[in-house]
Amino acid sequence: MRASGQKLLLVLLLVFPLARPAHTQSDDWHAVVAEARGQTVYFNAWGGDLAINRYVEWAAMRLRDEYSIELQHVRVTDIAETVSRIIAERSAGRDRGGSVDLVWINGENFAALKSAGLLYGPWARQLPNAAYINWAGNPTTLIDGSLATEGYELPWGTAALTLFFDKTRVDGMPANPEDLLSWIEQHPGRFSYPQPPSFLGSAFLKQMLLALSDNKEPLYAPAGADFAALSSPLWHWLDRAHLSMWRSGRLFPHSGPAQRDLLAVGELDWMLSFNPAEASRAIRQDELHDNIGALQLDAGALANSHFLAIPYNSAATAGARVVANFLVSPEAQARKADERYWGDPTVLDIASLDSQERAYFDALESGPATPPSGERFLAEPHASWTALLEQAWLKRYVR
Amino acid sequence: MAGLVAALWVGLDAPALSRILATPGIGLSVASSLWTGSIATACALLLAHLAIALAVSGNWQRRLNAMTLPLLAMPHLAIGIGLALVLAPSGVLLRVFSPWATGFELPPDWLIVNDPAGLSLLVGLVLKETGFLVMALGAALGQVPSARLQMQSATLGYGPLKSWLTTVAPALQQQIRLPLAAVFVFGISNVEMAIPLGPDLPPTFSVLLWRWFTDPDPTIHAQAYAGTLLLFVLGIAAIVAAAVLGRLVRRLLRISAESGTRRHTERPVRRLIGIVLAAGFTLGLLSIVAIGLRAFSGQWRFPTLLPDRSSLDVWTDVAALSASVAGTTLALAAATALLGVALVLPAAEGCKQSANTRRQVGAWLFLPLLLPQMTFLFGVQVLLIRLRIDGTFVAVLWSHLIFALPYLWGLLAPARAAIDPRFDQVAATLGASPGRRWLTVTAPLLARPTLLALALAASVSVALYLPTLFAGAGRIATAASEAAAAAGSGNLRLAAAHAILLAVIPLCIFAIAYIAGAMLFRQRRGVPR
Repeated sequence: MRASGQKLLLVLLLVFPLARPAHTQSDDWHAVVAEARGQTVYFNAWGGDLAINRYVEWAAMRLRDEYSIELQHVRVTDIAETVSRIIAERSAGRDRGGSVDLVWINGENFAALKSAGLLYGPWARQLPNAAYINWAGNPTTLIDGSLATEGYELPWGTAALTLFFDKTRVDGMPANPEDLLSWIEQHPGRFSYPQPPSFLGSAFLKQMLLALSDNKEPLYAPAGADFAALSSPLWHWLDRAHLSMWRSGRLFPHSGPAQRDLLAVGELDWMLSFNPAEASRAIRQDELHDNIGALQLDAGALANSHFLAIPYNSAATAGARVVANFLVSPEAQARKADERYWGDPTVLDIASLDSQERAYFDALESGPATPPSGERFLAEPHASWTALLEQAWLKRYVR
Repeated sequence: MAGLVAALWVGLDAPALSRILATPGIGLSVASSLWTGSIATACALLLAHLAIALAVSGNWQRRLNAMTLPLLAMPHLAIGIGLALVLAPSGVLLRVFSPWATGFELPPDWLIVNDPAGLSLLVGLVLKETGFLVMALGAALGQVPSARLQMQSATLGYGPLKSWLTTVAPALQQQIRLPLAAVFVFGISNVEMAIPLGPDLPPTFSVLLWRWFTDPDPTIHAQAYAGTLLLFVLGIAAIVAAAVLGRLVRRLLRISAESGTRRHTERPVRRLIGIVLAAGFTLGLLSIVAIGLRAFSGQWRFPTLLPDRSSLDVWTDVAALSASVAGTTLALAAATALLGVALVLPAAEGCKQSANTRRQVGAWLFLPLLLPQMTFLFGVQVLLIRLRIDGTFVAVLWSHLIFALPYLWGLLAPARAAIDPRFDQVAATLGASPGRRWLTVTAPLLARPTLLALALAASVSVALYLPTLFAGAGRIATAASEAAAAAGSGNLRLAAAHAILLAVIPLCIFAIAYIAGAMLFRQRRGVPR
């Protein structure tokens, strides 16, 4: 009797603190959904890719049917335009009824809006579907370019630096810096990386530095006087690699797509991308031959996430949250990860899904050149490292 | 002028200048700008003189004109992108000979395109500017008694080539000083060819400036502003140096003339020059073909010459890409052409009698072409921002007009002046009003040059990249701006997809102008072409 009373107490203690907030939370969420009904949500997102635009159209259709929300994709060429627009609205005193309700954002653009107090929130972790997000396993969902997101933006997708190679020319998996270097030296003129300070080129420098450093701790602190000492393994590696690289390291592809082009015509055996499905997509669209393999470095793939945020003056915060919640639902995330539609890796923790929801992901076919989804992610070094690495690279290799 | 003053004012920023000087590789950048610009101009000038000399003395000037026209119509950007696709180790040229002759199964690791010495940039510039200078020399032929000079010299026993170079060429040279200076300044300051072909680590100074201008970080823009000032100084210095050099060359020519040496036969020299010209022409054609091949090929592995398959996906992709910019490009071209002609025709009417006024107006209109485009356009941009019309269609149209007007003037003003005033007088004695006289007498006589002028202005507008970028504040997308952006990020396949429009539109426009001209005058004889 006493034992069962204790059990009951335990059960009550366990259930109530969890169940009650859960109950009110779902009540709150019902209120949000009700408020969102009939709202128009202006979603400012990069519109430069046909596949992505089609995906957003699909989401708009689903949201119209299910929530009576009108999702308008405002296609921008660079989200920095939207950031300046929001800043302009603030200086014009338009603190309500702003023209933007939801933005696709990360990195310095997020930092600009957050530090200026121009974001609505925090809201991201309160969404019902936020429970599925892989917060614990993927640090990049919480830290965006060394700035804590603090619930002001919701992770929408994750990117992990992936190396793709021509399978007929590369055997074995040179997935650590030493093996990669010896492959490069045995195959002169066949490896390169996009030229820093391009986005992908700088990412490659950071990836190699992290992979070459036994103690990664100092790289997550602001770079200081020890920059030269800490970065020296990278320069040693590059000095040797450049000698045997494409054009002897005197010319580099300008961007990721440029390098993909060089792989496609046969000038190179390698390319890089932040999207692990990039090569499979390119093969599907006949931009690459189909003998492509992929790897992520054993030390872990440099990763970052991209996010959704709501401007402080949005006219439809409820609608924006419902849209965001839908976009991280298992159904929407599975479609996004599907290479036939977009092929962008999910931010959800698939293990936390119930069997019905997991079925969405089990049904995905991944292309011939997509690596198995990575387990080790490396967050970006502290933001101060990027500029210093770029400058040092330019000083060293522009003669 | 306002543009220049504004540019100088904002450009005077000492910290930014010192930051420019601290840029890694800046010395090499400036040097490669100067080197490629001056060598290319010198080679193009020499080739153009030789080509005209050979063509006129060999009676194939018409064929020469027909050869240079497609090259002239083709924008620098398109030729640049095309040449990159031809000359690269994985390019069309080596594919033709691989693997059967070269044994290459993989493209060799040769640093040909984007080479540090700028040789491929040189080839591109020479190819394009030779065409331009041939046209300028051809136009100047009318002002020089070339046949008489040539004959006098021939009776003294000189071969046609030497007599041309020592008698006619110096006189022609005097006539083309302005276009030559424009070519020189363009050679030093261009980005259209230097982006796809030029050296890369470091790039030419103008490409460096262009990268700063298009950088999203506004603190870097100050550097670009100050850089335009430096570019301006480089341009002036180069022109002064060229003038001095020109004098030297004239002296050398005189020494050669006074030496009295006569060659037995000029045939080997003639043949060599003929081969060089033919090779250049072939290279130009190949680069146009390469653009088409690359744009419509999916995967295209070395050494296959023709893409194995061209999927429907690729075609629809290219069509979708082109459709989105074709509208803006064509609208700008049409507006520039119509407005330009509407402005120039009345002005030409006004100074049909005074050759002096015509020359002065021409010189003023020509001024923007003598400045590095970035310097001038930066000033224009400052002005547009003041007027709060930057980034609008009207602003871009205005900037295009600035660059189209000198060509329109050069074509229409002499054409108007050449019309015999007695036609008009006869019509007046028959009692026709001035308006009617213009419509029934002058207009038909001007129709053909006007058609040509419309085509020329439209193709100038299609080719303009930097004016579109600066006046459009990056918001107005044309085929040129998209192709340059793609080439700048090294994505040659995307660049080729946009360059197709760049190549096709001017060719179509010129073809239409010629056909329309021929149709209009089927029944008339003696109408000036």
